[in-house]
Amino acid sequence: MTNNGRYVMIFILRMSAAEQTIGGREVAKTRIKPIGDRILDFLSSVRFGVSLLCTLVVLSMIGMLIIQQNVQGFDAYYASLTPAEKLVYGSLGFFDIYYAWYFKFLLLILSLNIILASIDRFPSAWSYISKPKLTATSSWLEQQAQTATFAADSSDHDALAEKISRAFKANGLSTQTSKFDELSYGTDESGLKDFANVSTESRTIIFGESGRINRIGAYIVHVCLLTLFLGHFVALQTGFDADVRMIPGDATDQIQMIQFDLDKKEKFNVELPFSMTCTDIQQRLIDPRGSIDVTNTLDWRTQVIVDDPEYGQTTADISMNKPFSYRGYRFFQAQTIPVGNARTIDLNLIPQDGGAHVSVTIPRTGESTLGDGTKVEYEEFLPDFTFNADGKPDTRSGEYNNPVAILGVTPPGGERVRVFAFGGNMPDNAPVSAPKAGYKWKLANYEKSPFAHVLSIKYDPFNGAFIAWYFGGFGLIGALCFVFFFSHRRVWALIENGRIVMGGNANRNHLGFEDKFNKVVRDVGEVV
Amino acid sequence: MAKEIYDSEIGRGWTTYVPAGLAIVGAFLMLGLRLQLGERFISDGALMMLALASYLFAALFQLTNLYAPSEMARRIGLWSAVAGVFFNLSSWLVRWDAAYEHEIAIMRESGNMATPWIFRYVPFANLYDLSLAFAFGAGIATLLFARRRNFQVLGAFTLPLAAIILTLARFIGNEFIDLPPVLDSYWRPIHVGVASLSYGVALVCFAIAVIYLLKDRVKVEAMAIWSSIFAIGVIGSISKFSVLTELVYRAGLFVPNPDGGKAFSAPFRLDTPYVGVALAFCALLLAGVIVSFLVYLYRENQGAKTLGHLLLKVALIAQILTVGLLVAEIRETNNVPERLRAQIAANPSQLVTAGRAMAERQQLSAREFAAITPAQHEQMGRQYLQANGDKLYLSVGTNPVEIAGLITALAGTFFVVLFAFRTDKLRERLPSLESLDSLMYKTACLAFAGLAMLLITGAIWANESWGRPWGFDSKETGALVAWLTYAAFLHTRISRGWTGRSSAYFAVLGFLLVIFTYLGVSYLLPGLHSYA
Repeated sequence: MTNNGRYVMIFILRMSAAEQTIGGREVAKTRIKPIGDRILDFLSSVRFGVSLLCTLVVLSMIGMLIIQQNVQGFDAYYASLTPAEKLVYGSLGFFDIYYAWYFKFLLLILSLNIILASIDRFPSAWSYISKPKLTATSSWLEQQAQTATFAADSSDHDALAEKISRAFKANGLSTQTSKFDELSYGTDESGLKDFANVSTESRTIIFGESGRINRIGAYIVHVCLLTLFLGHFVALQTGFDADVRMIPGDATDQIQMIQFDLDKKEKFNVELPFSMTCTDIQQRLIDPRGSIDVTNTLDWRTQVIVDDPEYGQTTADISMNKPFSYRGYRFFQAQTIPVGNARTIDLNLIPQDGGAHVSVTIPRTGESTLGDGTKVEYEEFLPDFTFNADGKPDTRSGEYNNPVAILGVTPPGGERVRVFAFGGNMPDNAPVSAPKAGYKWKLANYEKSPFAHVLSIKYDPFNGAFIAWYFGGFGLIGALCFVFFFSHRRVWALIENGRIVMGGNANRNHLGFEDKFNKVVRDVGEVV
Repeated sequence: MAKEIYDSEIGRGWTTYVPAGLAIVGAFLMLGLRLQLGERFISDGALMMLALASYLFAALFQLTNLYAPSEMARRIGLWSAVAGVFFNLSSWLVRWDAAYEHEIAIMRESGNMATPWIFRYVPFANLYDLSLAFAFGAGIATLLFARRRNFQVLGAFTLPLAAIILTLARFIGNEFIDLPPVLDSYWRPIHVGVASLSYGVALVCFAIAVIYLLKDRVKVEAMAIWSSIFAIGVIGSISKFSVLTELVYRAGLFVPNPDGGKAFSAPFRLDTPYVGVALAFCALLLAGVIVSFLVYLYRENQGAKTLGHLLLKVALIAQILTVGLLVAEIRETNNVPERLRAQIAANPSQLVTAGRAMAERQQLSAREFAAITPAQHEQMGRQYLQANGDKLYLSVGTNPVEIAGLITALAGTFFVVLFAFRTDKLRERLPSLESLDSLMYKTACLAFAGLAMLLITGAIWANESWGRPWGFDSKETGALVAWLTYAAFLHTRISRGWTGRSSAYFAVLGFLLVIFTYLGVSYLLPGLHSYA
């Protein structure tokens, strides 16, 4: 019966599995299901899913309008509330709504709904791929969203089918041609079907489709969404947030975990399995003459050395947007202690016994040895020098109003003395800036940096956030593009007595399909 | 074969992309000229104003074509829209170069010879930049959907909205901000670029929903009720709710930035004479519109219908005059310090309000904040006034969202008045319900996918910068809420078979939430996105 092996003879006109499934459900509705099945049906229904989405929208809106306890400005907001508001909002969990038990429960139920709905509907979607609808009657085709009928010489079905198949392929459709016999009945005198008068008519139908995998796109979206939920959940349950202050020269194996309880922030020390030594902090400024304010900053950089008893020593540079990951801990630039300091100081030394001026540059916590063997250690930097109530050197503010570098100077064979190198505002005859260790000390220049950096730390031992957002997130983007920028397009061309009936449908982008269908019809019209 | 099968409504082949392509290529040529000519070239602000004018011109001709079909009007409308998109994108690109030159000049002057990477200056730093890009997203989406001739009418609805967004940008002001270092990431152009394009598509989806409702014979009177409720909501909530409670409109004040950057917002507001009363009068007229049309809709009272339409037209004129009065008052008032002092002498409680606002900005702990007495608040306000009182000035830029809100309300009233004119003829000329529904679904899908990209790229950026992919920051949550709304919209088509009018209402709701995320979150709620 076939001339190239592609034709299939089908005697029974049957619906595709997808359409059969839908039909089957209609019949099943009349039976009363067991309570367990009904609960499952409810949990897996899209209607329930939509209700959950709407509830999430409402709760999220509440969380937006009521300032949350971990948001800056909460303290003032909380103080402005009346006792009754505090009581009601607090007992309903509105100050931390996104971590309230009912919000988590809602997300859990939504995840369950997504899983059950996917399981329930996947077989139906898969049947479009595994059992495509190869045949159709003319009346079914004429009911499709796109349909066209035109006369054609149908004496040679095979030749006509071959031409139509080529036209389909030229339009990017993969084709299958089927033949079947359709039963038709005559009519009696009253116009009703006469089942005694049966005849069999031969039909040839060409089925073309593209993008059938798109049918399961929604399920890929769901898998990605669940990956995202699960990864994020694992990260939240197994990890924590902390911060650590980094001052050049300081070493620590302790970080501070932060917990919010309404307007109280509590910190707990957590011991790291390694120690960290800060070797340098830098603040790259737009205008080096300006302040160390965030608005004048290009970047912050912290250099640390990690000493790990298990893995040895590692050096890390942590900049804004360039975190450092180590053994499940990720270190980020978070904030600074904006008290002026100097990353390096340039000293101008005037020898008391005459001779050429000496220039020397010393990094923070560093030291230098002069040509005559004098050892100079950079101990401290005060941006706005003053004496405090105890008469000790202090800073009046964090601004660079009267900067001074405090040095430890050890002359060759002499004792270590404390020296103040001022930036310029101190009179020459002031005792504090008097020459010491054979030199008059002047602070010629300095590179501004803050007193300390504060790094925030995210501990995520199972890389849950990475899996959630890189696999789940990027997967979701890809899957959504796949779902919405492509579609499953199906076109049938039925050859019957002297005419060709065409019909087609698509699961989305109906306007685009309309154009495509019209082009296919035009191409078929031209070849037949 | 029937001939109409061949008559696809879409143009054929790549030529349909020519208008959009020309706008984009032209804008990049403008960038080339800016790079060649430097500051002598036309400024980004001037280009933005040209874009605004072109959008309005295009909308005007598309509306003309709708009421009195003419091929010339259609063509002028289309090519004016192309010009609008061209100027809009040119403005954005020129701003990129200008931002680079601006900061490099500061660095060189201070002896800093560093050259940061060019992506640091991508104009996605504040709400002005985002507004430029949002309007471009709406414009380019309109052009792409206008590839089908029958959808070119979309421009009549989308381009006025794009023009309103640019008007808002104009009020915000195009001063460059000092970019916080956290924003200096390659994720910023990706994240904010996706945001602006998906907001633009959501705007087009909203416009299609409105056209659908109009075509689906939703009564213009019902639309007038909703637009009037919106307008009354705007009037009632501006000026810290003082218009309807005290019949006074108080405009925000600026104090100059000593470093020459964008001026600071002062904690005081100045009474603008007559504006409050005029706004309250508008609200009264609009309330009359609502009552009249409710009576008409529920009791079929033709007299109420006639009265409602009359009140609607009067309300439109009143709104135009009031907005004009407001802008004129703000621009022409120059004795601000004297008037403010007189105002405070008559009502000293404003000092307490100002002091409280100042305390809120200081990020005090709850205990510290609660410990400040009203007398101390008053003292803080008085000190501020003494230090800065003489420098305070009025500007339309102090209240960009309020003025843009009033203009949007005015536009809503205008469109309802317009729809009431030859409504049946207008409906006939709109695309079919089926094609509108299909396009609405398509644009909602695109907006949904775009918002998903926005959320994911934002989360990954936050993870790279702070190690916190998701923190329920108000802008994050706003975008999530909009996304969930579109998700619910798409799923209702499966579960309830909601298409057509129900879908249109969902699309309107989704866009309102997008607008809330775009504007409301930035201006009303605290969070990490307060710069934009």
